[in-house]
Amino acid sequence: MRKNGRHMSYYTVEGIIRRGLPVLTVTCVMGIIVGQILNTRENSLLSMPAILILIPSLVKIGGDTGSMLGARLSSAFHMGLGDRIYRNPVVHNSVIAASIVGLVSSVSVSILVFIASMLMGFGMPFITLLEISVIAVVIELSVVYSATVGIAFVSHRFGMDPDDTVIPLIASLGDLVGVMGIFTALHLLHIL
Amino acid sequence: MSSESHRDEDIFESQYIDMYLSEYASISSIVREALPFELLATVGGVIAGIILSGMTNELEMIPGLIVIYPGVLGLRGNVSSTLGSRLGSAIHMGLITDIDRNNPELMNNISGSLLLGFIMAVLLGVLGHYVTLALGFESAGVFKLVLICAISALTSGVILSFIAVLLAIGTFRYGFDPDNVVTPSIATIGDIVSMYMLFLSAKLVVML
Repeated sequence: MRKNGRHMSYYTVEGIIRRGLPVLTVTCVMGIIVGQILNTRENSLLSMPAILILIPSLVKIGGDTGSMLGARLSSAFHMGLGDRIYRNPVVHNSVIAASIVGLVSSVSVSILVFIASMLMGFGMPFITLLEISVIAVVIELSVVYSATVGIAFVSHRFGMDPDDTVIPLIASLGDLVGVMGIFTALHLLHIL
Repeated sequence: MSSESHRDEDIFESQYIDMYLSEYASISSIVREALPFELLATVGGVIAGIILSGMTNELEMIPGLIVIYPGVLGLRGNVSSTLGSRLGSAIHMGLITDIDRNNPELMNNISGSLLLGFIMAVLLGVLGHYVTLALGFESAGVFKLVLICAISALTSGVILSFIAVLLAIGTFRYGFDPDNVVTPSIATIGDIVSMYMLFLSAKLVVML
C-alpha cells in the first residue's frame, strides 16, 4: 500500500486534522443553520413533544444510510473497484439497497415514536406520524443519495480520501434536508 | 457480469475481483447486513429524541441550546463515524489487525479524532452564539455555549472512540464488513451518548 519506503504511517494526527477541519467547518455551519431553523419554531416544537422525539431519529436515517453508501463507495475506491458512475454495479446496487433500508426504517421510526409518545402520555395519531415520516424520508433520501454519489466521485477524482469528506458532508446534509423535510411534511399536513 | 478491463497478466485476479464484487455489492447482501443495524439505529434515535423531549426545561432556560444541539450531535456523529469509516478502510487495507497501543495507525486515528472534535466544539459554541445574536434571537452567552459544547464533545468523544475501535475490529473478526456495521452503530450510540452528555453538561452549566 505504501509506495515510498519512509516509515510514515498512512494516518497521521496532523493529516486527519488538516483534512477534517475544512469539511467539519462546513458541517458546523450547516448544523448552526439547522439549529436556527429549529430555533424559529422553538415554541411550537416545545409544545409538540412527539415531534421533538421524531426529529433526531428521522433526521438520522438519511445521514446513516447515506454514510453507509458513502463508506461503501469509499472502500470500493480504496480497493480499486470502481471509477465510473454509470453502469457500475457497486454504485447501482448500493443505492437501491440503501433506499430499501431507509424506507423500512422510516416506517419503524413512526411505530417507535407512536409507542414512545403514547407511553409518555402525549400521543399523536399513528397515521399522522407515518405520513410525516414517509414524506420527510422520501425528500431526504432523494437529495442525500444524489449528493453522496456526486461527492464520493468528486473527492475521489481530486485525490481526497473520501472517508474524511463524504461522511461528514452527508450526515449534516441529512440533518439539514431532514429537518426541512419534516417541516415541509408538517406544512403539507397543516399541522404547523 | 461483464469484465471489460482484463489485463492479460492477471486474468485470474480480475476473475477473483468480479467474484468478490458480485458478493460485496449484491442488493440482498447489503440490505441483510445493513437493515438490522439501521433498525437498531432508529431505536437509538428515538431514545435520543426522548432525551431531547425531556430537555425542555434546559432548552427554555438556556436560549441558544436548541441552536447548538444539531451541531453538537452532528459533530460527534461526524467525527466518530469518520473514525469508524477510516478504521474500516484501514482494516480492509490490512493496516490495523487488532487493538495494539503501539500501532501508530490506530493511535493517530484516535488522538486525531479527539483533538479535531475539541477544536470544532469550541468553534461551534462561538458560531452558535454570534449567529443567534446576528439573527436577533436571545443567546445564553458565548462562554456558556462554548463550555457546553466542549464538555459534551470531550466526554462523548472518549467514550465513542473506544466503542468505535472495539466494533470495527470485532465485526471484521466475526466476518462482517465494518463499513456496513460500524458507521450506523456508532452514529446510533453516538446520538444517545452525545445527547445525554449534552443534557448533563447543560444541567452543569445551568448550575454555575
